[in-house]
Parts: sequence; C-alpha cells; structure tokens
Amino acid sequence: MLIEVSLIHNNRNIMKITEEVRISDNGFVFNSRTGDSFNVNPTGLELTKLIAQGHDFDTIKSLFLEKYELDDLTFEKDFYEFVALIKHHQITSQEDPLDFK
Amino acid sequence: MSKTKITIAVTGLNNTDNPGPGVPVIRSLKESTEFEVRIIGLVYETLEPGIYMEGLCDKIFQIPYPSAGSDELIDRIEEIHQREPFDVLIPNFDAELFSFMKNEDRLLKSGIHTFLPTIKQFQERDKDKLPEYGEKYGIKVPASINLGSQNQISEIKDKFEYPVMVKGKFYDAYTAYNTEQVKQSFNKVSAKWGLPVIIQEFVKGTEVNVIALGDGQGNTIAAVPMRKQYITDKGKAWGGITLSDDKMLEITRSLIRQTKWKGGMELELIKTVKGEYYLIEINPRIPAWVYLAVGAGQNIPEALVKLALGQEVAPMETYKSGKMFVRYSYDIIVDLEKFETIAMNGEI
Repeated sequence: MLIEVSLIHNNRNIMKITEEVRISDNGFVFNSRTGDSFNVNPTGLELTKLIAQGHDFDTIKSLFLEKYELDDLTFEKDFYEFVALIKHHQITSQEDPLDFK
Repeated sequence: MSKTKITIAVTGLNNTDNPGPGVPVIRSLKESTEFEVRIIGLVYETLEPGIYMEGLCDKIFQIPYPSAGSDELIDRIEEIHQREPFDVLIPNFDAELFSFMKNEDRLLKSGIHTFLPTIKQFQERDKDKLPEYGEKYGIKVPASINLGSQNQISEIKDKFEYPVMVKGKFYDAYTAYNTEQVKQSFNKVSAKWGLPVIIQEFVKGTEVNVIALGDGQGNTIAAVPMRKQYITDKGKAWGGITLSDDKMLEITRSLIRQTKWKGGMELELIKTVKGEYYLIEINPRIPAWVYLAVGAGQNIPEALVKLALGQEVAPMETYKSGKMFVRYSYDIIVDLEKFETIAMNGEI
C-alpha cells in the first residue's frame, strides 16, 4: 500500500522529502513530479522513512547504531552517500546535502 | 440518465509504430458518460489498422489525401455526410487540419461541427516560427534558424554548438553531431517535408508533454502532463506516466489564455536539470496518447465534442498522477474479402 509522506518541519532538519514523492511499504519510491521511480532496499526504506518523519541526523544515527552492528564512521559515510543520491534524484529538497544536521 | 445518441467521424486510424490519434479518440468517445456514439472512420490508406479492429467503427470510408486538393477532400466528406450523416468531425492529422480549418463554415452549413484552432493560431505555432512565438507569449524556446538550402549549413557553426536538432516543417527530427550529419539529415528531411529545414539548439533534459483542450475563449478545459517512459526510434511514446507538475500546467494555462487556443493540443517541452522548461513544439491536435488522459480522469475527446456542439463545458481541474500507459502491438487476422472491399469500394 502506498503511504503519503508527511512532512515534519524541524528547525534542525533542513532536508525534507519532496511533497510529490510517495513511498510504498515495499520500497517502491515514486516521484509524481518527475515521473521517476526507484526501488530502495530495506535499509534505504528505513532511512527514507525516518527522514520523511522529520528525524535529524543524530536521532537517525543513534537509532541505527542501536539496531545494527555499525560504527560511527561507516554510518556517516553511507548515510551521506545515500542522502546525496536521493537528493540527486529529487526525492529530497535540500540546498547542500552536507548541511544535514 | 439516458445517453444522447450522436454520430462522430474520426480520421487517423493508422495505429502503427507512428500512431495516429484516431483509435484512442474513438476509445475515449466510447467511454463517454453522456454520449452513445456511432463512429464513422475516415481513412487514407487501405491498411490503416483501425479499419480491421472489430467493434471500433460502425462504418468506414476512404478519403483523398489533402495534397490532392482541399476541394476534393471536402467534396468527399460532404458526399459521405449525405449518405451517413454525422454530427461532429474530429480530424487527427496535422497535414489535413488546414483544409478542415479553411472549410469550417462550409462544413457547418452542411451540418458538420468541428472544434479546430483558427488559421492564425495554427500558423503562428509553425516550427519555423517558434522563436517569435516564444518571445510573443513569454515561453522559453530553443534558438533556431531556418535553412532554405544546403549552402546555409556552414552558418550553423557560427550560431550553435553541436549537437543540433535537424527538424522537418511538419514531422521528423534528427540529432546531428557534425556538419556531415546535418547534411545527411537535411537531405532526408527536405526530400520528405520540403523546405525550410529547421536547425534547433539541442536542449539537454527530459522530454515532457502536456495534452490540453482550449475553449477558444482563453479557458483551459483540460490539461494533463505526461513524461514518456519508453520512446521508440521514431521518438514516439510507447509508455508514459502522468505527472503532478504545477509549472507545466501553469505554462499551458498561460499559453491558452494568451492565444485563446481553440481545440485540442499537445505541448512538447524539455525540462532541464535546472528545472527550466523549453517549448520545442506545439501539435495543434489531440495526441495519440490521449487515452492516458482519459484514464487519469479527463475525457478530452468527449469535452471536445460538447464544445463542437456549442455546449458549456466546465474546466476539468483534477486528474490522477502516476497513471501509466503501455502500448503494445497486436496481430489481427483479416479475411481478404475485407481488404478487397475497402480497396475496391472505398468503404466498408
């Protein structure tokens, strides 16, 4: 079932999932403004949903470190890579991917 | 509520790899909630697939190409109308539009309603006048020059960077990466569509389209944006998806408001990575992917018929984004007798 992404504006979080993006529970992501669609793996889906829910970087990091066997550096590297990728595909809107706090 | 019985004549039954809009227009009309339609199919060629599709047309007539002369075409339309009267005519080819627009009053006197752009609207959006059009109506268009002869090809390198688009006046577009390729494309295009050949700046981006219907008073009755997902080697959409893009709708409404566009149209746009939109072409008729708009909630052919009959039509402002169409090819087995009938009698 497709879910509408709710946008939670947070002063600390300047990245948001764009309004036209729909994310389905099975990892299918559709941008109705560009017509692009993507498949994200379960980890990507989890990340995308956390971003959509308005969580900031620190919260997402602590959630992931708690749940998975992962070190800080690996998380940060993978996280920024993922964020840059979804920004490139206009899933998120953000001036600078590195500004995500 | 009982449906109004109506007879509609439709051209463009050539559902080939370069499909005419006739078949999807008929499918749309058959799904009308207000009309019970009887369809007269008008064909130029005896192998137009729409002739052989069961349950599509109630009657089919062959008509002469407009190149044989407008009068010949209109005389034949009137002759058909006398035998099988119809209320509305929906032409679907660019090349035949001029003859029908020119004879709009004559057709109406015979009881045939149309809903076509005016000759001025039709001519000012010609591909070779696109720069002036863009400036007049405040729309970005790629820079272009018109070539009247091969000698002018040398001018290209002073004005453009390669690649460039080489386009025919009516149809065909090729990407050329150097002077040699421009020459080849120039020869192909000019042999088929005559002169001028248009050299257009290559704008990098995604091709997106809008199907729209203007009421002739400046109102946009329908508009649905689409992105081609699968494009054939002829540049035709073989799959597409409706978009939720306010900017595309804004461009369409602004253009229809300013031009008071009457009838169906298709805007072809390039969206750059910066999010800018360049108008590359306006097709002055319903495009072949019209059935996607119907699937998304806007029955444009039905609305066009109502406008042709002088009925009020409220603008359709919503549609579903993320609706897709996927085209397919299909072999129909045909008995020789059917082919023989249309070939020998010019009607079925």
